[in-house]
Amino acid sequence: MNQMDRPIANPIVVLREEFDDWAVLFNPETAYALGTNPVGVAVWKLMDGRMSIEEIVAKIKNSFEDSPDATVKEITTFVDKLTENGFVGLEVESK
Amino acid sequence: MPEELKDKIESTVSKVMRTPRKLDIEITSRCNLRCRYCYFFHNPAVDYRDLPTEEWLKFFDELGSLGVMDVTLAGGEPFIREDLTSLLEGLVRNRMRFSLLSNGALIDDEIAAFLARTGRCECVQISVDGSFAVVHDTCRGQGSFDGAIRGIRTLQRHRISVAVRVTIHRHNIDDLENIAHFLLEELGLPGFGTNSAGYMGTCRLNADDVMLTSAERQLVMATLLRLTAKYAGRISASAGPLADGRMWHRMEEARAQGKPTFHNGGRLTACGCPSSKIAVRADGAIVPCNMLNHIELGRINHDSLAEIWQNSPALNQLRSRHTIPLTNFKFCADCQYIPYCTGNCPGLAYTITGQVDHPSPDACLRRFLEEGGAIP
Repeated sequence: MNQMDRPIANPIVVLREEFDDWAVLFNPETAYALGTNPVGVAVWKLMDGRMSIEEIVAKIKNSFEDSPDATVKEITTFVDKLTENGFVGLEVESK
Repeated sequence: MPEELKDKIESTVSKVMRTPRKLDIEITSRCNLRCRYCYFFHNPAVDYRDLPTEEWLKFFDELGSLGVMDVTLAGGEPFIREDLTSLLEGLVRNRMRFSLLSNGALIDDEIAAFLARTGRCECVQISVDGSFAVVHDTCRGQGSFDGAIRGIRTLQRHRISVAVRVTIHRHNIDDLENIAHFLLEELGLPGFGTNSAGYMGTCRLNADDVMLTSAERQLVMATLLRLTAKYAGRISASAGPLADGRMWHRMEEARAQGKPTFHNGGRLTACGCPSSKIAVRADGAIVPCNMLNHIELGRINHDSLAEIWQNSPALNQLRSRHTIPLTNFKFCADCQYIPYCTGNCPGLAYTITGQVDHPSPDACLRRFLEEGGAIP
């Protein structure tokens, strides 16, 4: 995955913000559910196919105070996991 | 669902989710059978009428907007509804998965193919109470066994997950070994669940004929424990003799060894349902659970489900049931099992004692022992 790829949230996926610190993404077609935290929710809501991963990371860093250096890796890993499980599609940056 | 997510859900179940995750819906009050132990019929609190398609579809749109994930359609018999495909399309359109509880007799290739095409059918649960027609039909009516097995085979042909529930009553206790063999080896099911006829609905009218005595319960517990050892992991129970047998064994062991209180022991903690799911009757009344059909919280399409879920005093009272100590009850006075007891199902507590906030006498280990029962 390239940092310039633009992820698009699968519209069939349901986001359930259960409590203050926990949410669930649920794909009704596969019955697969994924737990996530407020950062994951914020990332999910930014995946509209227009913003690149790099831009999403920058926006998250601005939105959450004291973002650790590992934020880029964590978000990339999160998007990877979503992609592998059909939660997200990627608009691939052409070379 | 991944185990870690299940654990997370379990660990937070005492909190209340913003909206229910699951719904149990009695989609119809009609049924093609009249089983002698049915919990659904003969409930004086229930108005036995059906809602039109449009009412349900409007409600399903509300469920979709709330992010509900799973709906179980029961009845009555859900396959009796002529508009079932339209209703299921409404669930699919609103991003939900669904399960159906059925007697199997009305399932044909056409509807099974439809279920398969949706890609959203979690499972269809079929009731099978005997390994052959005479036993099964005793409580469920002539021809019902053939219908159930035909339904199972039809679903299997269409690769739809089939869950079988065996309800144990006085007329099938000698057939349990054959039932296990029939379901697991002849029909090739991965497993099946068990329960027993409970003191609700029609069963109350036929209690002496269908409900197990203490001696029969003891025999059934022993048989099921032996069968679960034989068919490792393939026979399950969340209630009934197998669940009671396992729980009572743990309780007796803890009492004998003076073990500390179980983490959920000593209070009315048994029911976690109102933390994650809610139910709707066939007439559109929203209720905490179909075992508590007399507690009307509101009506679909008239009252906001989210509002009921978050603020209903009756629902919140039920959620706080877990704070009530068993020592409050005369019924539990001087019981040595209190530290290990959860009070069990509030639905059965209500039908037996008239009180929801009361331990269920049906699940009382001390009473079972006093009646001459022994833990296998």
